[in-house]
Amino acid sequence: MGDCPNILEGDEALLASRQRRILEKCCDCASFKDDLRRFRESGHPLAPVILTLHGAHQRQKSQIDSLVSFLDSKTLEVRFLHELGSTLQSSVDLEEVLSVALTAITAGKGFGMNRAFLLIINREQGLLQGHLAIGPRSYEEANQTWDEISRNDMDLQGLAQNFRANKLDSERAKFHDILEQLTVPLSNSDHLLISTLNGTQPLLVENAFHNPDISTEIANLLGVDTFLLLPLISRKRRVGMIITDNCITHRRISEEDMRSIENFSFLVAFAIERASLYERLQVELSRATEAGNKLKEQQELIVRMEKMALVGRITSSIAHSIHNPLMVIGGFARSILKSTPEADPKRGFIESIVGEARHLEDVLDEILNYSDSLYPTRDFWDVNQLLEASLREIQEFLLERDCICQFEPQEELPLAYIDFKQVAYCVRTLVMDSLEGRSGELLSMRALRQGDGIHVVITDRARSVTPEDLDALLTPFAITHTMGSGLGLALCRTMLEKQDIPFIVAAPPGGGVTFTIILPTEKESSHEQAPGS
Amino acid sequence: MSRLLVVDDEANIRILYSEELADEGYEVVTAANTAEAIEKLQQTPFDLVVLDIKLKNENGIELLQKLVRERHEMPVILCSAFSCYKDDFSAWLADGYIVKSGDLTELKQEIARVLAKKIQKAKIGL
Repeated sequence: MGDCPNILEGDEALLASRQRRILEKCCDCASFKDDLRRFRESGHPLAPVILTLHGAHQRQKSQIDSLVSFLDSKTLEVRFLHELGSTLQSSVDLEEVLSVALTAITAGKGFGMNRAFLLIINREQGLLQGHLAIGPRSYEEANQTWDEISRNDMDLQGLAQNFRANKLDSERAKFHDILEQLTVPLSNSDHLLISTLNGTQPLLVENAFHNPDISTEIANLLGVDTFLLLPLISRKRRVGMIITDNCITHRRISEEDMRSIENFSFLVAFAIERASLYERLQVELSRATEAGNKLKEQQELIVRMEKMALVGRITSSIAHSIHNPLMVIGGFARSILKSTPEADPKRGFIESIVGEARHLEDVLDEILNYSDSLYPTRDFWDVNQLLEASLREIQEFLLERDCICQFEPQEELPLAYIDFKQVAYCVRTLVMDSLEGRSGELLSMRALRQGDGIHVVITDRARSVTPEDLDALLTPFAITHTMGSGLGLALCRTMLEKQDIPFIVAAPPGGGVTFTIILPTEKESSHEQAPGS
Repeated sequence: MSRLLVVDDEANIRILYSEELADEGYEVVTAANTAEAIEKLQQTPFDLVVLDIKLKNENGIELLQKLVRERHEMPVILCSAFSCYKDDFSAWLADGYIVKSGDLTELKQEIARVLAKKIQKAKIGL
């Protein structure tokens, strides 16, 4: 390009601008440097000035190049974080979030670490729990993985999807032993992982095998003396931790690496928390939907029962109206028949009356038995609903006496297999009998699952009963009116006994009386027997 | 001779029961409602009460509860046109339960059974 060997194709614009040509090309040109040398040797008074200016220009140019390179790397990092952020923010699938997070840390197109472990807080069990890991366990495996990645040439998102689809379970299984040992109780605040988590700041552990402040236990477990601990914090809430290292390449982890991964960890923490909340929300939603469906079914059952009960009442009423006159007719006919001689010509007629009356009574019995069968007896019922309905029915009684029966529905109770009507009667009777003759008192009622049954416990803390009185409580009329009518509890016991439902009355040493009804949650053959039969 | 009190709101049924039970050798007194029954119970002792559950506007179960509370030594046999009262827990307080029928054999057998049980209880001092 012209006479200058440094002006190449694409530099044509420089031919038109002498100033730019000098600054961009000539200053670095060997010929220009020779000219400067000769100029200095000529002893010209301006030579030292020109040389000083040239040196300063060269230094500034070098600084600018370095800054441009730094800016380029930061731009790439921002783009990378933006890409990951978009992926993480759009996902509510926990497995997807974890796959993206761990792939981003370990992929060459990401932070390029060799290995990463993800630990998640299990609040119910009070643990920081090893959940997932990614990376090789040997040099051979590492080489194999890098070959595979270079062959496929996937972007980060592709790598994350591939990891989730093909490797998530196998990686989890591969690191199962380490993940298990990385599980630590949150209460163990002296443990390196927990103290770092509580400190909420990332920690770069170096020279772990010889650092007196670091227990070698974790270094032995990871097999490296340099690793990075990154607490995952979302809005001041601890979510988990990422542990990452370069166990294969042993590349140094710089302060800058740590800060870059820390920025990324905020996104991960937020995404994990959101995905976990979404998952819980889904569970709650499906539980609420299921409860709604059950409620609908039970409401339909109640409506059906009411309709059946109405049919039963009408049938019974008609049958009763016919039954008594028929019984009188049949009864007197039998009476007359007894005193009518065998030879009496009218005996045949009387026998016909007796026979027809008997026949009609049989028909009526059949109708009445059918109407009885329309009433369902035992079924699966929601105990919370039963207790709430029972309290509603005696609300007036409680208001009149200024008494309160506290009850809070218990979540996750299974259905109880009971005769709703009879158990509801017992609950009402227990409350009413306890409060009979008293005012301004407080009872508490709760239902809780224990073993195979649901314990309905009614506690009366204000009453004081001796152990001797307890037996009397369940004996009809054996006690005074201050303990209720004297009949209710005995009836409750009988009714519950007939359904094989344990009923326990106890006077705890601290005072008060507790009534416990243990409702079955399963249909058993012994329960198929009709109550009262 | 055992004395029985028959409580039923229907006159024909009272007559039928009186006739039939008298034939069986019982001394039978009748009452049409709970007030009359209580009055007669206060006048003389009875060995057993045969009680109808549906008494016009009254409920025989209420009388049953009163009798169990105040005269628990005196057995009561409930009579009803409905078999469904068998499942009514209040009816379980009675010593016997009979579904009314023109054939009084079952009622007679139940009376004999309950009276025999009462005598046996008295013998062992319960």
